[in-house]
Amino acid sequence: MNLLSMFRRGSAPIARERLQILLAHERDARGQPDLLGVLREEILAVISRHVSFDPDKVQITMDRGKTVSTLAVDIEIPNRRRDAGSAAVYGRLTFDPAPAGARSQWTNGLV
Amino acid sequence: MSSLICQRQSLTFRARSYMAFVFAPQPPIADWLADLDATLERSKGFFAGHPVALDLSAARLSPPAIAQLVDALAARGVRVLGIEGIEPADAGKLPVLRGGRGIQDVELPEPAGANPASKKQEAASLLIDNPVRSGQSVVFIEGDVTVLGSVGSGAEIIAGGSIHIYGTLRGLAMAGAAGNARARIFCHRFEGELLAIGAHYKTADEIEESLRRGPAQAWLDGNTLKISAMN
Amino acid sequence: MSEEKSARVLVVTSGKGGVGKTTSTAALGAALAHLGEKVVVVDFDVGLRNLDLVLGAERRVVFDLINVIHGVAKLPQALIRDKRLENLYLLPASQTRDKDALTEDGVAKVIAELRGKFDWIVCDSPAGIERGATLAMRHADAAIIVTNPEVSSVRDSDRIIGLLDSKTERAERGERVDKHLLITRYHPWRAARGEMLSIDDVLEILSIPLLGIIPESEEVLRASNVGSPVTVNAALSAPARAYFDATRRLKGEQIPMQIPNESRGIFNKLFGRKAA
Repeated sequence: MNLLSMFRRGSAPIARERLQILLAHERDARGQPDLLGVLREEILAVISRHVSFDPDKVQITMDRGKTVSTLAVDIEIPNRRRDAGSAAVYGRLTFDPAPAGARSQWTNGLV
Repeated sequence: MSSLICQRQSLTFRARSYMAFVFAPQPPIADWLADLDATLERSKGFFAGHPVALDLSAARLSPPAIAQLVDALAARGVRVLGIEGIEPADAGKLPVLRGGRGIQDVELPEPAGANPASKKQEAASLLIDNPVRSGQSVVFIEGDVTVLGSVGSGAEIIAGGSIHIYGTLRGLAMAGAAGNARARIFCHRFEGELLAIGAHYKTADEIEESLRRGPAQAWLDGNTLKISAMN
Repeated sequence: MSEEKSARVLVVTSGKGGVGKTTSTAALGAALAHLGEKVVVVDFDVGLRNLDLVLGAERRVVFDLINVIHGVAKLPQALIRDKRLENLYLLPASQTRDKDALTEDGVAKVIAELRGKFDWIVCDSPAGIERGATLAMRHADAAIIVTNPEVSSVRDSDRIIGLLDSKTERAERGERVDKHLLITRYHPWRAARGEMLSIDDVLEILSIPLLGIIPESEEVLRASNVGSPVTVNAALSAPARAYFDATRRLKGEQIPMQIPNESRGIFNKLFGRKAA
């Protein structure tokens, strides 16, 4: 009975979309080993073979989307000359709606 | 390879003391059970929910007899917390209690209608300077309890003496818990769930609606629990 | 960063579920951050996390409180910064574990570390009186007891108040936890008809100071749907204004209490949300 609500876009569709994305990821993750944890360890292992860094200085951020999720791994790597320097490794993971697993492609950009 | 570092949880042990009634049956057990039945007849369910310890030092029962007694008590709504005065091997499934401190002799009301011989109450009294919250239980067998505040729904006050509530009683009040028939309950505003003096009790259902939301007192008249408005 | 001021640990609790703890944690946390405080909100509902959802951070959760307790991640790696309010951070709960994964020691260490970084640490308690709820309140300096004007909620709140006086570190040291009553889901017309407990009824039964009265409102649902606290998404709405008033009272300001009434609601509906 609220006239104004007819003109206002409902928030329910936004809620529905958020839930769909979230639950798709949560169902995918159920019963599987922690993909994020595995990725982190493996990435750090690979990088540590080439440079040394402080594991505490690793920052990981993630943004899960409907078709594309972004995983950003930010590591401070000291330069040879002991100046502050940092390297960033970005990876882009695409998730299938079907539980077929993740395809991943990695790019790295060194700053 | 991922690794999860699990932290070992450390266990903390705490000790707490609880108040329990003590049954010390004297042989012959059948007669003692009959006496108990007569008491319970007048106040059904009195011991329900309250821990009862069984002192069998005078009874000298065999292990099967002990088990039978525990079952007989359970059938009467009496849940035994533990047993003292026996060999640990004879206790069966129940824990053996040791080192209990007597608080006061509790006289079960005499079955034959004779006046209960209550011991003189000591002058001890407990003052509670804040509301008693739902789920809290105050037990003070040594004397009177006074609450400066309300007693919440789902809270209990159990006193050997009288109970004085300068606030609203919404929970349970049991006065004269050690057998003092002269104990009374007073409250500024009665909205309670249960009132009891000694082994005599009334639930909210059995109390007149007109007495609610006003000042009230409860006392024992012979074997009847009476409640009246105070003005 | 605050060095002089000591951090305040606040627990938002209720006993009863579904009365508005998480909504209130988000709204109050955001309001505090908006007023310039550095705030972290911590979700203690292990296994059924909601605070991330209400804040719209659900897609950015990487590490959680349990990971930090178990040493899998450091605290800064688990903190998620709000995209709208730079002073607001979230420490989410685990969705895959349960309350048994919380340890008393672990929680103590996390709270201690948070005290060094924030002005306010707001702990969103789960419902109930078991481990999650008691650990959420354990280190509280102050508590907000969220209560609906309804009999079960009031009794459960009374129970929780009793626990605040026994199961907290402050209580064990003989000190008091400051308690504040927050009445939520207040319907002015139901109260007028006597279909709902009145504010006075609730205050009389619980006997703790009133922090605020939050009216029932569609804005709360809308905010949750879009993933933004109501104090951010609809800052001028009635519930948001009530939350802001409550926040100011928390900080010690004297704000006269406004009881939400129906006429203002109609005014809002006819002339849009920006009334008064």
